Amino acid sequence: MLLLSLDLLANGLIYGCFYALMAVGLAMIFGVLKIVNFAHGEFFMVGAYTYVLVALKFEVSPWIALPCAALAGAALGWIVERLLMRPLYRGYASWGFMKDEYAVVVTFGLSLLLINLVDKIVGPYSYKGPSLIETSRFALGPVMLTGQKAIAAVVALLIMGGLAVFLKRSVWGKQIQAVAQNRLGASLAGIDATRTTALIFAISGMLAALSGALLAPMVNPSPDVGAFPAIKSYVIVVLGGMGSVWGAMLAAMILGVSEAFFSVYGSYDYRDAFGLAILVLVLLLRPQGLFGEKGREL
Amino acid sequence: MIGPGPLWRDRLAFDMRIAVLVCVVLAVLPLVVQGPYAQGIILVSVYFAILSLAWNALAGYTGQFSLAPAAFAMLGGYTTALLDFYLKVPLFIGIPAAIISTALFGLVLGKLVLRLSGPYLSLTTLAFAEIARVVVGNSHEFTRGDQGMHVATLTDSRLGYYYIFLAALVVVLVLLYAMLRSKLGRFMTAVRDDPVGAESRGINVVRVKMIVFCISCALCGLAGSLYGTFSQLVSPELGLLQQTGLVLSMVVIGGMASLTGSIVGALLVYLGSEWLRSFGNWQVIVFALLVILFARYVPGGLWGLMLDRLKGKRA
Repeated sequence: MLLLSLDLLANGLIYGCFYALMAVGLAMIFGVLKIVNFAHGEFFMVGAYTYVLVALKFEVSPWIALPCAALAGAALGWIVERLLMRPLYRGYASWGFMKDEYAVVVTFGLSLLLINLVDKIVGPYSYKGPSLIETSRFALGPVMLTGQKAIAAVVALLIMGGLAVFLKRSVWGKQIQAVAQNRLGASLAGIDATRTTALIFAISGMLAALSGALLAPMVNPSPDVGAFPAIKSYVIVVLGGMGSVWGAMLAAMILGVSEAFFSVYGSYDYRDAFGLAILVLVLLLRPQGLFGEKGREL
Repeated sequence: MIGPGPLWRDRLAFDMRIAVLVCVVLAVLPLVVQGPYAQGIILVSVYFAILSLAWNALAGYTGQFSLAPAAFAMLGGYTTALLDFYLKVPLFIGIPAAIISTALFGLVLGKLVLRLSGPYLSLTTLAFAEIARVVVGNSHEFTRGDQGMHVATLTDSRLGYYYIFLAALVVVLVLLYAMLRSKLGRFMTAVRDDPVGAESRGINVVRVKMIVFCISCALCGLAGSLYGTFSQLVSPELGLLQQTGLVLSMVVIGGMASLTGSIVGALLVYLGSEWLRSFGNWQVIVFALLVILFARYVPGGLWGLMLDRLKGKRA
């Protein structure tokens, strides 16, 4: 019983790392534009496909495919911001469409577009993703892990550590925080808010794509593979307090662990509804998220 | 697009007149379009027109972006199907029961979510829609899961069914028109345009949202229930997010906050998607692209474009 619990805890935490990678990008976009990107799952999907296809078609090492996926995600995020998000902060509200509505319609449409476009180009088959390292299961104390899972979790942690340092220390990171706190104020201080927003979308796309690439060997990408990771990141972002990066990281761990326990002690059939139920509950009881008024802190 | 002031009332009356004209065209359409397949297609597009009207009342006129219209259609369909299957309830009770049950679902969900705004509301309704679909699809003993359930049918004549759908569309249209003409209609647009201002003028914003939400859900339930009896099968596929996407694209392409826009949008998008069906899933690609382009460059939709043309001025 205890051993099972430890096993679930470890696996939950590992999934929490992937969820965090996914959700942090969504939280950053919300922090800056106050919109939910309903196409976030498709960033994940594009990352997973890029990773698998680059590794399989060009027969290169997965360690080269991984940065390719990151690049693809970043490029997609950047293009999306450039083509579709500009009206949100360039006086479009007066057209009659409200900001929130525009964002919902455009990102929802984008999600449908990307899913079906990939389905058309790559085909509806799911691909078996190559593993980063070839090891079978090994025991870490009482916990059984596969090599792929362990190494992917380590990579995810490294990326998040890198992101934390980037946000805290670098000039660009500080500019991102400034724009998130007060767009107008940051502009007055000489920060190019438009360019910073493009940067945020690129980072967000990159993180989601990386999480897709790292999970590719476990989920076997298909065009609609992004749906559940996306819903999980919505849950996490709401749970952690919209727009809060640190809240999102912590909430990801909470969700990962509680989900692992629910699928064993609760119901396996309804595990996909579990996260959603949490989302509804949190929104009802504490719309500002678990971590209070940190909504504006990045 | 939806200008304030005295013009607005005229615009609504004009909108209604054109919408009625479209319904008249729809009524004579089966005389021109022969064959069960073609008639089936226009029938389904009328189903989508009802959903679009229901969603537009909520999103276009009241500014509440729910992502659950397809889920409510599914719930309506299942209400009728379950009553028919377990209790052998005749359809003339089963269909009104679907309206009542979806209105109640709407009441409960609305109570919970309508204090939220913007993206939070969309997120919660999205979550609700997916939960409903997962639960219905997994409750194998009760709903037979993904296999779907058989439903009794009202009539075997496809043409008869077409006129039943059309009658439902006209009822919905008249109901929405009466709603928009009444005080509630002006409250709705006030809530959409400036919730804080509306609240400060003594409008109970949550209650207005609540009423419109329940009505919108009930109309989706009616549409879903009718559709279930027509196809004699309800399945979780009725509630797919893609269906919501289709409704959304119909309204955005036709025109937000327009009766005619919802109906014409539904007809064009559905007929277009049937035409594109031979090209595989190019249909969704084309419509997703159209939604994005319309939202980005033509926020008034086709209806807005036409009004601009008539008035000879830019929005």
